[in-house]
Amino acid sequence: MTRREFTVKHEVVYDRRSPVRWLASHIWRYPALLITFVLTTFGMAGSQSMSAVMVGQAFDTVIRGVGLPALTTAAVLVAVAYIGYGLFDIVNSMAIRVLAQRVERDARDELYLSLLSKSQTFHGRQRVGDLMARVTNDVQQINQFVSPALGMTTESVLTLIIPLITIGTVNVNLLLVPLVFLAGLTLALRHHNNNLRPVAGLLRSCFGSLNAGLAETITGIEVVKGFAQEPAEEQRFQSNARAYRDAFIKEGEVNARYLPLLLYGIALGLAFGHALLLFRQGILSVGQVITYMALFGTLRSPIRFLLMTSSVVQQSLASARRILEMILTETELDQNSAGTSKPMRGDIVFERVSFSYGQNGDPTASVNGAVPSVLTDISFHARPGQTIAIVGQTGAGKSTLTKLLNRTFDTSSGRVLIDDVDVREWSMDSLRAQIATIEQDIFLFSRTIAENIAFGARGPVTREQIEAAAQEAQAHEFIANFPNGYETVIGERGVMLSGGQRQRIAIARAFLSNPRILVLDDSTSAIDSNTEDLIQRAMRRILDGRTTLLITHRLSQIRSADQILLMKNGRLIGQGTHNELMSSSAAYRQIFVPDDVQTVNRTRETI
Amino acid sequence: MSIMGGLNAEKYDRSYSDWQLVRRIVAYFRPQLGKVGLVALMVTLTSLMATLTPILISRGIDLLGGNPQLQLLIALIATVTVLGILGWTLNFVQQWFSVRAVGNVVLALREDAFRAVMRRDLSFYDQYASGRIVSRVTSDTQDFATVVTLTVDLLSQLVLVVVISVVMLTQNSRLALITLTLGPIVVAIALVFRQLARRAMQQSQRAQATVNATIQETISGIAVAKNFRQESAIYTDFQATNQLAYRVQINRVAVFGSIFPLLNTVSGIGVAVIIYVGGLMAINKSISVGEWYLFVQSLTIFFYPITSIASFWSQFQQGLAASERVFALIDDEPQVVQTAHKPVGKLRGEIVFDKMTFNYSTGRNAVLQNFSLTIPAGETLAIVGHTGAGKSSLVKLMMRFYEFQQGRLLIDGHDIRTLDLGQYRQQLGLVPQVPFLFSGSVADNIRYGRPNATDADVLAAARQLGDGSWLDDLPAGIQTDVGERGAQLSLGQRQLVALARVLLQDPAILLLDEATASVDPFTESQVQVALAIVMRGRTSVIIAHRLSTVRAADRIIVLRDGQIIEEGNHAGLLERGGHYAELYTTYFRHQSLEYQPWQTQSKTS
Repeated sequence: MTRREFTVKHEVVYDRRSPVRWLASHIWRYPALLITFVLTTFGMAGSQSMSAVMVGQAFDTVIRGVGLPALTTAAVLVAVAYIGYGLFDIVNSMAIRVLAQRVERDARDELYLSLLSKSQTFHGRQRVGDLMARVTNDVQQINQFVSPALGMTTESVLTLIIPLITIGTVNVNLLLVPLVFLAGLTLALRHHNNNLRPVAGLLRSCFGSLNAGLAETITGIEVVKGFAQEPAEEQRFQSNARAYRDAFIKEGEVNARYLPLLLYGIALGLAFGHALLLFRQGILSVGQVITYMALFGTLRSPIRFLLMTSSVVQQSLASARRILEMILTETELDQNSAGTSKPMRGDIVFERVSFSYGQNGDPTASVNGAVPSVLTDISFHARPGQTIAIVGQTGAGKSTLTKLLNRTFDTSSGRVLIDDVDVREWSMDSLRAQIATIEQDIFLFSRTIAENIAFGARGPVTREQIEAAAQEAQAHEFIANFPNGYETVIGERGVMLSGGQRQRIAIARAFLSNPRILVLDDSTSAIDSNTEDLIQRAMRRILDGRTTLLITHRLSQIRSADQILLMKNGRLIGQGTHNELMSSSAAYRQIFVPDDVQTVNRTRETI
Repeated sequence: MSIMGGLNAEKYDRSYSDWQLVRRIVAYFRPQLGKVGLVALMVTLTSLMATLTPILISRGIDLLGGNPQLQLLIALIATVTVLGILGWTLNFVQQWFSVRAVGNVVLALREDAFRAVMRRDLSFYDQYASGRIVSRVTSDTQDFATVVTLTVDLLSQLVLVVVISVVMLTQNSRLALITLTLGPIVVAIALVFRQLARRAMQQSQRAQATVNATIQETISGIAVAKNFRQESAIYTDFQATNQLAYRVQINRVAVFGSIFPLLNTVSGIGVAVIIYVGGLMAINKSISVGEWYLFVQSLTIFFYPITSIASFWSQFQQGLAASERVFALIDDEPQVVQTAHKPVGKLRGEIVFDKMTFNYSTGRNAVLQNFSLTIPAGETLAIVGHTGAGKSSLVKLMMRFYEFQQGRLLIDGHDIRTLDLGQYRQQLGLVPQVPFLFSGSVADNIRYGRPNATDADVLAAARQLGDGSWLDDLPAGIQTDVGERGAQLSLGQRQLVALARVLLQDPAILLLDEATASVDPFTESQVQVALAIVMRGRTSVIIAHRLSTVRAADRIIVLRDGQIIEEGNHAGLLERGGHYAELYTTYFRHQSLEYQPWQTQSKTS
């Protein structure tokens, strides 16, 4: 079992050695359904063959003039066979479909749990869209694998075999045409699949680019119209739409050439001829000819099914492989529940810390060793209660640095110490409970405001505590102004909050968890004239008395920090107070000079 | 409202009568008339042949009663084989042409839908989510194609039903009537099924959407969940949703899993009845054994189309609804209407709002009421005010993105409604608040407004901004791929690209909605320098969020509720101590170096 950050009791363990084994182990969790399915499939094929035989017998009784009772018996048996078929069919399709739904549910559960237990290094490297595709489409594809693909394949194979056996019992000679036909069919199907696969892929990718191109045009419509580029966009759309049409026609052509249908047409004639020949030789009765033709007719539908299922099976295996890949991705952190667990003071030491992605067996990173370092040789010391501002260009490594603190990532070399204890020695529960992060993209769940704030608390909290936290964060007023107050649901199905409001809720969340150490990433926050002042006040309160790592672009905040870390390309290029850096660092001075554009203009013009 | 219920309907939707819909659809097929004719012919021939084979076989069986001649049998066998080959050929020809006809029709429909979308003004895009517009143009047209294919299919099956019925009736009317009565029973079952299926389907889609939403939320919020160690709470929630979805799916399975077995059983009982009645008649010699056989065969052929027509009916309706949605999109009219298309030469850049009244849509509060403002050519005007004061509206009206209700907007003395919109907009340099980049290289994006500009031109424009040092941070310079919507670049870099774009375009008027998002101070200083260069020598209207911008402006107007409440330059307005001064203390001042955010704190260091 891989290392993981999160575990549950009674977890079901599946065979993860290969996609096929994995699928099999999922299906085999419900042997009763599977066995029911196989047995009823036999029943279906059997009753189908029986009805064909009975129809033939009915004809023979009439031709031989055996009499009415025999005809009645035959007719009743035909009805029984069909009703039996219907009953088998219902049980059969229920069994396989329920099985498919269960497998889908279980696979989703398994994947979800594995995602929860992955470290944030892993999640940081995944695009939400990709993950979503796996959890939604790929998991549904697994359902498709069980039903219809697996179901139909089993059914098709059995409805090929059992009629063949029945034909053999009518007369062994009759097997000649069906067997030759099946051999030809196998070849033709493979040929067709090989032709279809690339074309179907092309069609999908054409539809993808058509969609993506159009989505881009529409999202950027302001720019398109602003620069009067509608004709160019139309041209682009047209060429995408044409490419799609061409692929569509190509697929249609491949389907039009579907050879098995031709084979069946020819085989039907040959089968009929062969039967008539045997009849003339006195080997077959009329009824047997009819039985044979009816049984030959049942061979028709498996042909169509097999065509559909083979592509589904291939897609499903690919999906299973992708899901497994995700589940099996190693994660490098674990809960370390036996580690240090005590109240923090908030003393932080970075000791020659370097970090790069792709360490610790993360297979998604490049393996050739050429991993660029994200952080290199960072050392600093923050005393309890200090505010440390981290300044640098986008991509300089500011956020990454703060993420080493609560073990979102672990260092590649060097140590991060909190209260003189290496963070890796801390119990993850204790560590994260005492460090709060107000991240740059503030994420709120689609729940009530109260629940979102309470998210920060360990254990149950009272409404008073939640409101007090909101008060501190300058959020109480706007929350109280909603008709439902703290019970207002946020998000797509509820109220949309402005950036400033979200930020204050995140601050309230942090207040409630009352951490010793605070990481405040303010770097992409929007500035809003309505709320700027309130946010500044809320921040001032939350920083008070806590050790804070502050990533900010607000010059005034940078200036008032106890210590400033100036970063570039993952290195510390300056460290000290504002005044110290103003005198020691040219790079630092640069950001304060063009305070006034007119000054810049003047300087530029005089140069 | 349910998730599904709100999924498709838009305000511009209208309902067409069936007749109107059919006429519209037929119009699209007119250019494909030859192909459609051929397809129809093939469909009919295929149906005829599908009935011919069992007839021939039944004749063969009749021949068996006597002592048939070998040649006759061989001829029969040969005919059946040839029919098989011919059937395949006809099907091939039919598919070959129908796929072309359908492909062309969908293409035409998509192009029309796209053009219709491009004709709309921005009020349309404000109102409707981009994803939904996209799905109308791509997916709904796709559904329409499915309908057409389905229609061809159903039509051929319908022909088959008719042909079979005629054959049966001519052979033996009594047996035929017994068979035909089964038709309505099947249709009735299918109708009941359709009701159940629709409900089950909707519920299952809803459940699926809920599960997906839950997962999406977890994945997006995983950092929060982990930072606060809330994994098990989230997992419990997920399990409940997942289990609920499973139960709903089981419902759906129960409906869909039982329909075909049921229909097959009904048809099986029909076969038994025909065997019995037919057998009786054969004993009485009122029909031959071959005819009896033919009926048994025909029953199966007769049943198949009826079941499939009945069960595909809902899909057919969905497709029709899709085409209705596409037509509604095509037929909706834009609100911005030009009264003339006067050519626009090089503009001086004077802008006059004359007693203008504007709201985004009828029934909503007026954003501007009797609003007048004159911006002389060459002025740098900063607009400040709180969210909702009408700042962006001014810029959007100058872009002619929206139609106003009263008053006039004069550009160099010309009424904006009389100008050639394409030429006019090429004279405007727009920098939106969130700079939008198209996938492609930085160079492609810079030359977006002037597609024929050379790489050298692009580089020259880019170098003018901040001495071009920002290009050094791009891995491949101006050839750097910006990724989907510019995601590979930082926000500051995207702003610089947007400014370079405008610089290369060299417009007479600059309209800039300053970013509210903060950018790291290194890039910010580059953006500010770049901005000063872009503004030089043109009329510039800026929705200002930066202290440096308001300080540099020739004139600042303070907007509140669509009215200019103060006007002047930075120093003068501060002195007045009015609204601007208040805005400064609660907002702009925070960007000033002199401001001390932690002054109330007592910190020992």
